Amino acid sequence: MDSLQLGSYTFSSRLILGTGKFSSTKAMVEAIKASGTQLVTVALRRFNRDRMEDDLFGPLSEIGGITLMPNTSGAATAIEAVRAAHISRDLSGSPFVKVEIHPNPHHLMPDPIETWEACRILVRDGFIVMPYIPADPVLARRLEDIGCASVMPLGSAIGSGQGLSTAEMVRIIIRDSAIPVIVDAGLRSPSEACASMEMGCSAVLVNSAVAVAGDPAAMASAFARAVEAGLQARRAGLMPRSGMAVATSPLTSFLGRSS
Amino acid sequence: MTSLPAWLTDESLSAEIVPLLERRSEESLEQLAAEAQAITLRRFGRIISLYAPLYLSNFCSSGCAYCGFASDRSSPRRKLEIDEIKKELGAMKAIGIGDVLLLTGERTTAVGFDYLRRAVEVAAGLMPRVAVEAFPMTVAEYRALAECGCTAVTIYQETYDPEQYRKLHRWGPKKNFIERLETPERALEGGIRSVGIGALLGLSEPVAEAGALFRHARHLCRTYWKAGVSVSFPRIQPQEGGYQPAFPVDDRFLARMICAFRVGLPDIDLVLSTRESPLFRDGMAGLGITRMSIASRTTVGGYHDTDNAGSQQFEVSDNRTAEAFCQALRTKNLEPVFKNWDSAYNGPVHKEEVTCH
Amino acid sequence: MATIPIILNGERSEIPSGSSAADIPLLAGVGNQPVAIVVNGVVVHPLDRSSLILSEHDEVEVLVFAGGG
Repeated sequence: MDSLQLGSYTFSSRLILGTGKFSSTKAMVEAIKASGTQLVTVALRRFNRDRMEDDLFGPLSEIGGITLMPNTSGAATAIEAVRAAHISRDLSGSPFVKVEIHPNPHHLMPDPIETWEACRILVRDGFIVMPYIPADPVLARRLEDIGCASVMPLGSAIGSGQGLSTAEMVRIIIRDSAIPVIVDAGLRSPSEACASMEMGCSAVLVNSAVAVAGDPAAMASAFARAVEAGLQARRAGLMPRSGMAVATSPLTSFLGRSS
Repeated sequence: MTSLPAWLTDESLSAEIVPLLERRSEESLEQLAAEAQAITLRRFGRIISLYAPLYLSNFCSSGCAYCGFASDRSSPRRKLEIDEIKKELGAMKAIGIGDVLLLTGERTTAVGFDYLRRAVEVAAGLMPRVAVEAFPMTVAEYRALAECGCTAVTIYQETYDPEQYRKLHRWGPKKNFIERLETPERALEGGIRSVGIGALLGLSEPVAEAGALFRHARHLCRTYWKAGVSVSFPRIQPQEGGYQPAFPVDDRFLARMICAFRVGLPDIDLVLSTRESPLFRDGMAGLGITRMSIASRTTVGGYHDTDNAGSQQFEVSDNRTAEAFCQALRTKNLEPVFKNWDSAYNGPVHKEEVTCH
Repeated sequence: MATIPIILNGERSEIPSGSSAADIPLLAGVGNQPVAIVVNGVVVHPLDRSSLILSEHDEVEVLVFAGGG
């Protein structure tokens, strides 16, 4: 399939961007434009009149071609996440929700149990549900079974820049999933995004790596190109990994010489 | 005719093993075998799990061109009565068997569902693990078998080529390609825990056949993520009636196919029966193969009552006793395992837990 | 003018008595941008705001989208 199908939406870009940690709204907007992304995640926050420039709704609407995917960060329970999702949908009009429930503010690891419960309710309520999860193949299948539009296993802890430390688990998830698998969190470099796509991910979500780069717009563009390269390489048919295995004595001599 | 499922027709889903199968050099086979051995060792250790088949009957209503028990063949027909089943199982237990595969042909009035269910009940009382290789059944029938203690169902599609399938299954209930294809899924829906699939190698062009079989295994693993899936590699051997396979598969190709499957499906059991020679079985044990039949009889019964055994479904090439075969495995630093299950785990997977798309 | 105390975005605020949820954006200093308004845990749709009269000690949240990953 040439494009990414999520719910009833089709995206040609396989790069999803987060909007946090940028030095300014202007930097964020330039990075988004440079990346060609069509799906952007935002957080719900209290309005603060002293920080009106924080509000992204206006600037994002002006870019055009962007669908919002509000996330539920801040929620520590399924109930809170469901409430945040409903508020966000009313505010944005977008049916997407990134279910993000991390009760521990230090490591920010997602809570699998609250996440599952929130997803169950939000699928029922008609959202396009995109859960952010630990790279757990069983959890991923359970979420697929209840109707999530994708699963988003973490590459490593949010903002840690530790890269695709969960590669082997993500491989298993990809192998066993019929829905898009989108690596989210912890990616540090475009090559890691490329590797994710080569592995079989349908998209990647990047935030910190772009936002804290010296030149976020250039970094966003680099990520976009890396994601395209990885997808194209996978489609082109990567050559099989050459075996590192070496037998101590011939294994197939029992077959005799070939005729 | 119902249209063929996407997993069967989409060849890109098995593209990764085609280059492995098409190579012909010695070095590439040796490399592939080393890869397969390394994966098998990591995933399965040095274990070879062992089972034995028990043919309950050779009554059959179908006319499969390649089978010694086809309904137009002259082999005398018989079926085991309950007390005979018990005696056969007793004889099998005496040689250490702890995992039995009960076989029948296609559904007949002599051998139908009720007979099979009763046989499963009896076997489950005597053997730690009972599997069945019989006619395609309904979800409800599979659930009933699971409740009686059947843990696994094996069913070979024979060939995944619908046209070739049509030519080979000349009459009888086996004519229905799609019904047979969907059988593993009905079994899993019914709460059976594991399914075994395979193609009878030789019936159709082997690279394409291998691709379809691979896609079938992948599809089942992906859809029924809690199920056990195993793949067998039955190869047409000469038998009564003299069916000559259109696409004979030589040892090298079969070895290549088994290794390729191990590389592409690192976690599933790959099974080799006593159709194959001792040399081939010993060679492939641990190179991808993780499960084998042992001390087999492919006559009806034959473990206890050897005199009245009658004709075979196929010729057994490996006639070694259980002891001799286990010794051969140990020489290769492999460990034969007779019991890998316990009846305490029997009982169907609950309906709510069988998940699929 | 009579005022009533409410909690607005976590802080005590005095607002004119008889204010409705529709008055909140102006009272909170929101400009033109769309906001979400939640009163006592329940989202109030824009169309329903003018008919929801606020009471003493109501907890009102005014929410916008901000940066997040």
